[in-house]
Amino acid sequence: MNTSRRFFLRNGALAVAGTTAIPSFLVRSVLAQTTSAPNRRLVVIFQRGAVDGLNMVVPYREKNYYSMRPTIGIPQNQVVDLDGFFGLHPSLASFKPLFDHGNLAIVHAVGSPDMSRSHFDAQDYMESGTPGLKSTQDGWLNRALQAEDALCRCGHTPFRAVSLGADVPRTLAGTVPAIALSNLNNFSVGGRGPAPSQAASAFEAMYGESRDRIFHPAGEETFEAVKMLRAANPSQYTPSAGADYPNSEFGNNMRQIAQLLKANLGVEAAFTDVSGWDTHQNQGNVNGQLANRLKDFSDSIAAFWRDLGDDAGNVTLVTMSEFGRTARENGTGGTDHGHANAMFVLGGEVKGAKVYGKWPGLDNDQLNEGRDLALTTDFRDVLGEVVTRTLGASNLELVFPGARLAPANFLRLV
Amino acid sequence: MQVLQRSMAACLCLLLAAPSAAWPQAPAEGVPRPQAGKAKARAPYQSGELHGDERILHALSRFTFGPRPGDVDVVRSIGLDNWFEQQLHPASLDFTDLNARLAEFPAMQWNPENLLFRIPSNAIIRQALDGKVSIPERGALHAVYEDQIYRVAEKRQEKAEKQHADLNKPALGGTPMAAPAGMPAGIEVQAERSESPTPLSKETIGASAAPSESGSMMAATQSPSAMDPIDIDPILALPAQQRVSKLVLMQPAEIDGFFKSLRPIQHVALEAGLSPEQRETVGDLENPERLVVEELTAQRLTRDIYSTAQLQEVMTDFWMNHFNVYLRKNEATPYYLVSYERDVIRPHALGKFEDLLEAVAHSPAMLLYLDNAESIGPDSVAAERAKMAAARRPGNQKKAREGLNENYARELMELHTVGVNGGYTQADVTQVARILTGWTVERPQRGGGFEFDPNRHDPGTVKALGQKFKDHGEMEGRDLLHYLATRPATAQFVSRKLAIRFVSDDPPQSLVDRLAKTYLSSGGDISAMLRTLYHAPEFWLTNVYRAKVKTPIEFVVSAVRASDAQIDNLRPIANELRTLGMPLYGCVPPTGYDWQASTWVSTGALVDRMNFALNLAASRLPGITTTWSPQADSSAGTLLAADAPNAESEESRLEAQIVAGGVSDSTRSAVMQQFQQQSAQATQVASARPFAAQVLRQQQGPSPLERQDQLLAGLLIGSPEFQRR
Repeated sequence: MNTSRRFFLRNGALAVAGTTAIPSFLVRSVLAQTTSAPNRRLVVIFQRGAVDGLNMVVPYREKNYYSMRPTIGIPQNQVVDLDGFFGLHPSLASFKPLFDHGNLAIVHAVGSPDMSRSHFDAQDYMESGTPGLKSTQDGWLNRALQAEDALCRCGHTPFRAVSLGADVPRTLAGTVPAIALSNLNNFSVGGRGPAPSQAASAFEAMYGESRDRIFHPAGEETFEAVKMLRAANPSQYTPSAGADYPNSEFGNNMRQIAQLLKANLGVEAAFTDVSGWDTHQNQGNVNGQLANRLKDFSDSIAAFWRDLGDDAGNVTLVTMSEFGRTARENGTGGTDHGHANAMFVLGGEVKGAKVYGKWPGLDNDQLNEGRDLALTTDFRDVLGEVVTRTLGASNLELVFPGARLAPANFLRLV
Repeated sequence: MQVLQRSMAACLCLLLAAPSAAWPQAPAEGVPRPQAGKAKARAPYQSGELHGDERILHALSRFTFGPRPGDVDVVRSIGLDNWFEQQLHPASLDFTDLNARLAEFPAMQWNPENLLFRIPSNAIIRQALDGKVSIPERGALHAVYEDQIYRVAEKRQEKAEKQHADLNKPALGGTPMAAPAGMPAGIEVQAERSESPTPLSKETIGASAAPSESGSMMAATQSPSAMDPIDIDPILALPAQQRVSKLVLMQPAEIDGFFKSLRPIQHVALEAGLSPEQRETVGDLENPERLVVEELTAQRLTRDIYSTAQLQEVMTDFWMNHFNVYLRKNEATPYYLVSYERDVIRPHALGKFEDLLEAVAHSPAMLLYLDNAESIGPDSVAAERAKMAAARRPGNQKKAREGLNENYARELMELHTVGVNGGYTQADVTQVARILTGWTVERPQRGGGFEFDPNRHDPGTVKALGQKFKDHGEMEGRDLLHYLATRPATAQFVSRKLAIRFVSDDPPQSLVDRLAKTYLSSGGDISAMLRTLYHAPEFWLTNVYRAKVKTPIEFVVSAVRASDAQIDNLRPIANELRTLGMPLYGCVPPTGYDWQASTWVSTGALVDRMNFALNLAASRLPGITTTWSPQADSSAGTLLAADAPNAESEESRLEAQIVAGGVSDSTRSAVMQQFQQQSAQATQVASARPFAAQVLRQQQGPSPLERQDQLLAGLLIGSPEFQRR
């Protein structure tokens, strides 16, 4: 708990005196101080549209890689070498120092075991965490927080689960309340300003006094969040020196996640997504569409990491995408829907500087259905390990029902 | 702590609610029931039956998109039972007002083929550019094709140049991937469109309301083809017909520049005074696909807000969601959705479930959405031919036909009929998929209709769900649909879903059984089921009164209805639905949106609901005007302090209009506190400078008194009571 948070608590008490008899958020905040929640934060990034993992993390020693990708392959002398076998796309150069410092790990040939090649099915399955099962109502990240609750009656702030975007994504859907924000500056009622608007005060009193069993707590939660955000004033957390976020939607989202984390608002899980990966056509090689997207992607994440500075130690970031793309380039200089992909895991506790996972090879007879990188690691094994180590969720059957995850099978990357 | 806090709140509720439980359940004769506006909000766990006006309010809140001012009186005068029967027989209702409003959207009456031809999709334009579609020879439509071809060609050109540049210098990054131009129509495009779960991108709906998007402004200053603003104004000054003719006669580069240069206020001027057909021509010239999506959305909201056949619209919404089709599945989907809603869902919304299921199964929208259109029987003639072709051309990189697609077969059982626990196996899914092979769409890129293709159909008798289905072409699938429609599991599944929509999130099993019984005895008659629901004792229990949380569409539409807003522009409403996470036609997965409270009550959502309420009530949504005080039009500015309405009466008036059934004392006192504060300030202004208020109003918009009413109304629409139905 840093100074500004404590300052807020004390002043918050004065601010709400007279409107609600028992400011419940205060009660909770006090509890939050005494029972220590695991002070770890998990950031999840979804690359929607199925990124081309084979051009993101290039197996540049595979001969067949170059024969299958005559125009879009990344030449050996252009990759950013990682370990003598794999190399990063040159647009991911800003990941190289993170990898070398041991903060960044990569898992290759990973993904969902479901064979769907439909974007919306595959995203749905990955976000619900139950491939092949449509009836799942909630998302894996929400269930990870539920699993954490089972262990610890910790106090939580309304910012516990946050999504930067218009609505709560499938990944965060469920019984644990989550906030969706597209712009921190617009999160207030009746206009923004240094003090609550007249309407906001009236609504706060109305919901605070309400006997409605759903809207009373939701209203309190909302005004607690609005006030916390105003008091913490995350806009005062300007990016640290050297944290140069690209001026893009994804860059803005990452910057705002850093602001929320640095403002000590109690964020445990944050989510955002980034799209533009569905490169069926003219995806380019060292330069081009995919290169531009990857540059935005890696520069935003590298800036985020730098921005966090000392706070980075207890943050873990994981990236995912619904499936990979075909090993062979298609007739229009792009790639079609494939199967296994690559994931990045970045964090203070991550055992980085390594490409994890069993490499299935790229010979024609090693491909999935004769066309895609085969899958050797279930994405739930990666996420299962990450949630165990960050959120402390040990009931993996709750988080990934039916997956029968066994810690013995984890890659031991966190 | 979350749990602890909630349970504490619940205990508090019980304690506070205790006194109201002593309320007489059946008031003795002569004891007046509370008026609508004054009724105490009742706690949801009270037992007993609803009486009097509460029955009317309850029925209106469940079978309509929320009462409009005066609706309670109307229902009282014709009798609740009579009103309900009228709703079950919408043909007898008066549609004069609705039809006049729908006349704004002539294209919404066309069939998919005509719609795709006259308001061409990007796929059609690409085909025209590649010489696969012939371009209309003359008239406005010729201009539409020429303009769109110009734009597609320009995009291709830009892209080629950019690629050339990319090869010569290192990438700068941060550039979002441009929409790929010149790609083959069909599958690849579909994938591109469906990659993002965010439906209805801003470009598709909000754009012409807000052409101030940086993109178009940038273009105005950068594009060499952009017109000088001086050239625009004379065009806007032309009479309607000449204005449209002028646009039609412009060269493609010229009209491209014209639209890119147009500022929002000029855009309004451009459409001023145009007939619906003329407005469609302009929209077609500007962005055809967006025109279709905007009209589709606008006609739906118009019906939800204004239709007298409210139950039919509520059920249309229900079935559109049950048989969900996602707008961005592919480029033809918006075009097929027009017909899907109009010809497939609405006519059957109160009819027989089996007819509805049949119509959906034959609809191009569903066949494309759930991929059955591409499914090919493994042993079919088409599969044999594909194998032979592949053998002749080894190494062909063209996408091979994938054979059987189980997507529709699975959802047909899991989501449309028997439900996930309906007793089928994965083997049944595969077999059902085989039965449905050959059910496809004729020329889907051109708006063709259903086609049974015997070459794709898998031959032989199929055993599925413990039944034998003999191979007699399309009839095999129809036998399957009939079998599924007559299952008790389907009766239960549909009944439970109806009960959740109309009664409570966790409806009593007795009610579900009652509905399922009617389903089976009436041959799946939806009206009969609704009648059973209406007459069920479980429907009228006080513990289901206001038990449902409004979904975003229910909240937004009921707010507009309650405020009797004057609407010239429906885009802010469509945008609000996206903000609240429930865009029309925008649900990506086939499950449709959830009807239960937990999905829709979240911290961010509540902030958005409150802000929508305040903005709607203060007429801050562009093109949507609300008027709260009867004097506002003429004399509000001249009101002196002495004439200022009594605070309590003003609150009662607005509460009675907006929140059917009234608000709780605590909500009322929170509202009143604001009113009194504002009132004090207003009185000061009015008494100190009697003419100042009038001048203020004329120059700066609403008077202080109007602003009070706007705030009061906004608070009432944002209140916890208004979030329920």
